[in-house]
Amino acid sequence: MVSRRKTVRFNTRIYKEKAILEAIKVYSKIADFFLVREEDYIKVYIKNIPPEFSKTLKDEFCNYVLGITKKCLRE
Amino acid sequence: MKFKLNLKIYPLEAILNACYMFIDKVYIHLDTDSEGKYVKVEFKSKAKGSKKQLSHLREKFMNELLHSTLRYKINKNNKKIREYIVGKALYSALIPAAIPTFTEEALDYRQDPLGISIPWEEKYGKQKENRKV
Repeated sequence: MVSRRKTVRFNTRIYKEKAILEAIKVYSKIADFFLVREEDYIKVYIKNIPPEFSKTLKDEFCNYVLGITKKCLRE
Repeated sequence: MKFKLNLKIYPLEAILNACYMFIDKVYIHLDTDSEGKYVKVEFKSKAKGSKKQLSHLREKFMNELLHSTLRYKINKNNKKIREYIVGKALYSALIPAAIPTFTEEALDYRQDPLGISIPWEEKYGKQKENRKV
């Protein structure tokens, strides 16, 4: 059985908070997101993931954040 | 598949650039070690592929990383000269607007609007007389 809850930790030395927030904005149409700021990390809890996306959503979300972070660096 | 990259060799910008080239092929997650000297890269295959395919992608990624590191370093080294060239180009584009334009009928050599006929000494003050040649 695939869990409908996932957690991702983004290291703030690498990922920009702006990028994470932007990605959450886009992905919030699919699932519910909760964000917790820790010392060096931003923890993102993903809940109510639809079963059809349960395997890929977390990883796709990570890739999306990575893409926006890269764009943020250019700016 | 997990592997580490030394930040002294590969700058973070170059790593992110290389990762960006591969996000259509693999799922990538990045993290650092506690000291911030290494970047931990995690590759996850998108399709159900063999480990061999993933390691082949990793090799390709390392090559791309070298490319982006080189591009980043060249970009960094040439930043000043690039800014100078762009600045110069923009400046020279502005100059024609700064020069006053004269119509042919209004033009008369006796008027001398640019002050060309004024001697250097009058225009900019006398040169030092004591100066030995």
